[in-house]
Amino acid sequence: MTAYIELRGVTKAFGGAPVLRGIDLTVARGEILYVIGTSGVGKSVTIKLLVGLLRVDAGEIWFDGARIDSLSERQYAPLRKRLGMVFQSSTLFDSMTLAENVALPLRLHGGLSARAADTEARKRLAQVYMEAEADRYPAEISDGMRKRAAIARTLALEPEVVLFDEPTTGLDPVSARRIDRLIRELAGSASARGITAIVVSHDLPSILGVADRVAFLYQGRVHAVATPRILQASPDPVVRQFMSGQSNGPMETPGF
Amino acid sequence: MSGFVERTGAAALGNLRAARDLWLLFVSTIAGLWRALVRRRRHAGPPRGEIGRQMFHIGNRSLVFVIVTLGFIGMVVTFEACLQLSRVTGDYSTVGGQMIRLVISDFGPTLTAMMLATRVGAGIAAEIGSMKVTDQVDALRMSGVLPVDYLIVPRFIASVVMTLVLTVIGTVVMFGAGGLTAWRSFAVNPSLFFDIGLVRPRHVAMLVLKAVAFGAAIPIVSGFCGLRARGSSEGVGWATTAAVVGSSFAVIALDFVISAAALWVTGGDL
Repeated sequence: MTAYIELRGVTKAFGGAPVLRGIDLTVARGEILYVIGTSGVGKSVTIKLLVGLLRVDAGEIWFDGARIDSLSERQYAPLRKRLGMVFQSSTLFDSMTLAENVALPLRLHGGLSARAADTEARKRLAQVYMEAEADRYPAEISDGMRKRAAIARTLALEPEVVLFDEPTTGLDPVSARRIDRLIRELAGSASARGITAIVVSHDLPSILGVADRVAFLYQGRVHAVATPRILQASPDPVVRQFMSGQSNGPMETPGF
Repeated sequence: MSGFVERTGAAALGNLRAARDLWLLFVSTIAGLWRALVRRRRHAGPPRGEIGRQMFHIGNRSLVFVIVTLGFIGMVVTFEACLQLSRVTGDYSTVGGQMIRLVISDFGPTLTAMMLATRVGAGIAAEIGSMKVTDQVDALRMSGVLPVDYLIVPRFIASVVMTLVLTVIGTVVMFGAGGLTAWRSFAVNPSLFFDIGLVRPRHVAMLVLKAVAFGAAIPIVSGFCGLRARGSSEGVGWATTAAVVGSSFAVIALDFVISAAALWVTGGDL
């Protein structure tokens, strides 16, 4: 497998407390990789390191053949057109309508005029079945709709890689499966163009239904990487406990 | 003992880093100001109408608060001054002249800024802190927006302008309320009290200089606290408290520095 994104021995600590203790991970172009693990294991930290929202303490991050972990904030700006991110909370700006939210990166990153950005934003909202809500404010719509609008904003710049941080958390099962379908459709349609998705989640139905491969983080390292079916049948007791959701087992969970 | 030294050293280093980051935020804000006002890049800078909105929030919504507070303080200060004079000489001829000098060069800008540090500082820190803990600041970065340009620069411009405006209004109200008190409580002739002959251009320059410095300090310190918010609502609460304390401290410290510099420049003849 040719590595499109690669993390080599990445470590990260906060206030002296290590979170990532040496992550080694590769992602192929066009792949949907799920990153799973218990809360606080460093899943969100891992994808924030990829887009430079956090900086590595040690190790290397490579993207499309270039090392990116040492780039400056200014150098990261063009890279963020290629690497989009959907955050755990919707992160829509409350003072803007959905169309204005989606138009913002089109104006600033894409260099479109306000009128052209608005037209394009409405097309992007239609892509996630939200065109009817374009002129509403985030406070006026449901959580699921906000997530979809946030996805539209991320997709507006047609990134090559989309990083999803717990896209189904806090949603009802129906809305969660609609988000899953959306990721699958986007990645499916995108695969031809080489778009890749990295999804942080601990939503098992989502993992089993959408992922090409799954990386299981445990104690700050990649404990296992496999397809969902192989991981589900894994004899490893820690993986088995996580995948079956049992409270008793060998897995050490901080705070419990 | 070694643990105590370690903790003290860590705290000192933490404060030094915070001071460096605060300075860097100030420099970034000035650079953002340059981008927004001078270079006028087509797609950069604060969103359309944001400076006007911030001026309304910082200025108009603080107007009653500033007028009432400085009015009452003007009454109390004048009453106390007249009371002490009545016990010593009973000569009120210079009370108005001394009062106007003090209000213009010190009380007016400092008290107005202290009021704004509590009301505006808390608001800025809470708003930016909430955006920080809900990843909206990171979302701005992902959208190609520099958070300083988007969040700090419009508040900085609005705060500098409106602090100056409110300081002038507060100074007039404070002096007027003092004159009213002197007239009603001690029968001081208003034409004697409102004699502004002792006011010199240097006093007005002090008012402008202090108002601009305080107006710049409040959004920088409060925005800095907001951008350092961590976790959830508790982090926003911490940021809000730190913003009020930090902004008030910045106003007092700048007042001291500017007053000391002015005394040094004028050779004590202020």
